[in-house]
Amino acid sequence: MSVVVDEPAVMDGGGTSRRRRGRALTAVALVLVFAVFPLVMSPFANLQVTLILVYAVAILGLDILVGWTGQVSLGQSAFFGIGAYGVAAGAVHGWPVWAGLLLGTAVAGVVGCLVAIPAARLRGYALGMITLTLPVVAVPLAKRMEVVTGGAQGLNVTIVQAPGWTGLAADQWRYYVVGIGAAIVFALAAALRRGRFGRAFDAIRVNEALATAQGVHVTRYKVLAFTLSSVYGGVAGVLYVVAVQFISPETLVLTLSISMLAGLAIGGLRSLLGCVLGAAFYVVVPNLTGSVSAGQSYLLYGVCLLVVMLLMPRGVAPALGHAVRRVANRRERAAASGE
Amino acid sequence: MNLLQQVLDGLSSGSVYATLALALVLVHRSTGIVNFAQGQMAVISTYVAWTLYDAGVPVWGAIGAAIVLSLVVGALVERFLIRRFEGGEPLAAIVVTVGLLISVNGLVSLIWGTVLKQFPSAFPPGGVGSGSGGTIGYGTLGTIGALLVVVLALNWLFRHTRLGLAFRAVAANPESSALLGLPVGRLLMLGWGLAAAVGALAGCLVAPKLYLAPEMMDSVLTYALAAAVLGGLNSALGTVLAAWFIGVVENLAGTYVSFVGGDMKIAVPLVLMVLILLLKPEGVFGHKEVRRV
Repeated sequence: MSVVVDEPAVMDGGGTSRRRRGRALTAVALVLVFAVFPLVMSPFANLQVTLILVYAVAILGLDILVGWTGQVSLGQSAFFGIGAYGVAAGAVHGWPVWAGLLLGTAVAGVVGCLVAIPAARLRGYALGMITLTLPVVAVPLAKRMEVVTGGAQGLNVTIVQAPGWTGLAADQWRYYVVGIGAAIVFALAAALRRGRFGRAFDAIRVNEALATAQGVHVTRYKVLAFTLSSVYGGVAGVLYVVAVQFISPETLVLTLSISMLAGLAIGGLRSLLGCVLGAAFYVVVPNLTGSVSAGQSYLLYGVCLLVVMLLMPRGVAPALGHAVRRVANRRERAAASGE
Repeated sequence: MNLLQQVLDGLSSGSVYATLALALVLVHRSTGIVNFAQGQMAVISTYVAWTLYDAGVPVWGAIGAAIVLSLVVGALVERFLIRRFEGGEPLAAIVVTVGLLISVNGLVSLIWGTVLKQFPSAFPPGGVGSGSGGTIGYGTLGTIGALLVVVLALNWLFRHTRLGLAFRAVAANPESSALLGLPVGRLLMLGWGLAAAVGALAGCLVAPKLYLAPEMMDSVLTYALAAAVLGGLNSALGTVLAAWFIGVVENLAGTYVSFVGGDMKIAVPLVLMVLILLLKPEGVFGHKEVRRV
C-alpha cells in the first residue's frame, strides 16, 4: 500500500465567501435538476439514473473499506445480493418494504461483521482471497435455497408502487425513492468521514502501527469498516430490487464485485462524487459501446476502461477536482490583479 | 470409479490450476501486481494454438509456437501498459488488469466468435491399467508431467542461470538492482513474458478437457488465485501443493459427498482455504513480512 495522505477529510474550512455562495448555488441547481429530470425524460433514462444511484451506494460501501481504510474486498456483490434477497423474499411473504429493508441490511451487516472479525487480522491479498470466497459460495447457495430465493429463476416482486395522489409513473416514483434513499446514505457517509470514524479509518490506511500508537483500536475499526461496507452493500441491494423489481443469482456473481472495484478506481478513491461517476461508467458505458457496435461492445468497454485509467490513473473525480481548482484559482488571481 | 483414479484426476486439474497460479506468482514477484487478466491472456494464446493446428501445424508445434508468441506479447503488455501503473495506487494496477481481461475477452469473441471449438489433446488417447481399477488416462499423467517440467525449468532458470539471479535481485529490490546496473525494465518484461508463456501452456492443457471458449479460464483463474494466495504469492512449491490440494479436495468432495454435488464443489476447497488462511495469514509457505513503522 502506498502511503498517500491526500485531500483532507474536511474539504471546506477556508475559502472566500464568493466560493461558498457559488457552492451553495451549485448544490441548489443540482437538486433542481435531479428533481425535474424524471418528469421530462424517458422511462429508460430514469431507470438508468436510478441504477447509477443504486450502484453508487454499493461502490460507496466499497470505498469505505478500500478507499478510506485501505483494505481489499471482492465480496461486495454478495452483500448486494443479501440485501436484495432480504427485501424480495420479504415482499413475497407479504412483508412491508421497510421490514425487508431492515432484514436485508441487518443480515448483510451481521454476515459482514462475522466475516470481518477473523479476517481483520489479514491484509492485502489474503483478505482479498477470503472476500473472493463470498460470491463464489453465494451464487450456488442462492440457487439452492429455493424456498427463500426462488432458485435459479430468482424472485419477481412488485414493491414501492407510486401512490395515486402523486400522479407519477412507476419509473418516476422509484427514481425519487431510490434518489432520496441514496441521498440519505451519502449524507451519512459524508458525516462519518468528517468525524472520529473517518479519521480513525484514515489513520489505519496510512499506517496501522502509527494508528495504534495514536490510540486507534485497529482491529475494532477494521471490523467496523467492513460491517459498514456490507451494510451499504445491503442497502444498495434493497434499492436495486426497488429499481428493477427482480433479483436472481446471476446478479451477485463475482464479476459484479470486480466491476464495482473497477468503478471505484475509475471514479476515484475517497470521493463521494467519484462513487457516482464510477457507477455511471458501469451503467452507461456498456450501453454506449453496445449502441456503437453490438458485436464489439465488450471489447470497446474494456478499451474505454483502459483509456480512462491511462489518462486518469487516480480516477475521474480527482482529475475533475484538479481542473476545477485550476480554473477557480486562475479566475481569482485575475480578479485580484484587476482590483 | 476408484479412489486412486479420483485422486489422480484431482491432481491433474490441480496441475492446470498450479500452472496458471505459477504465472500469477511470476507476475506478482516481478511487479507486485495480481494479474486478473492472466487467465484471459492464456485463452487468447490457446486460440492462437488452435488456429495454427487448424491450419495443419502438428499439435506440439502449434502449442510451442503459441507459447513463444505469448512470451513476446506478455513482455510487451508489461512494457507498454503495466509499466505506467507500477509503484502507484495498487487498486489502479489491479483495475487495469481487469480492463485487460475484458478487452482480451472482447477481442477473442470478435476474432474467433463464441462458438465452442474442439481443442486436440497433446497426449495420446487411452491410458495405463484397465479392468476393475479403471484406467488412468495419458492426458491425466501428461498434464501432471507438464506441470513438473514447468516447475523444474523455472527452478533451473532462477537458481542456475545469471538471468535468473538478476531476476531474483530485481524481485527482491528493484532500486538496488538498478544501482547495480541491472536492466530492471527488461527483467520485469521477462517476468510478464514468462508468466504469459506458462499461462499459455495452462490454457493448452485445459482446453482438451473442456471446449475452447472465451470464458474457458474463468473458474481456473479463481482456483489459481486461491492457490497462489495460499502459497503465499511468492513460493512456487507452496503454490503447486496448494493447487494440488484444491484439485483433489474439489474432486473428492464433488464425487463422494452427495450434499456438495457439482455446483458447490468449487466452494469446498475455498472454504477450507479460508480456514487455513485464518490460522496462518501469511500463507502456508509464504514468508512472514517484516513491517517497519
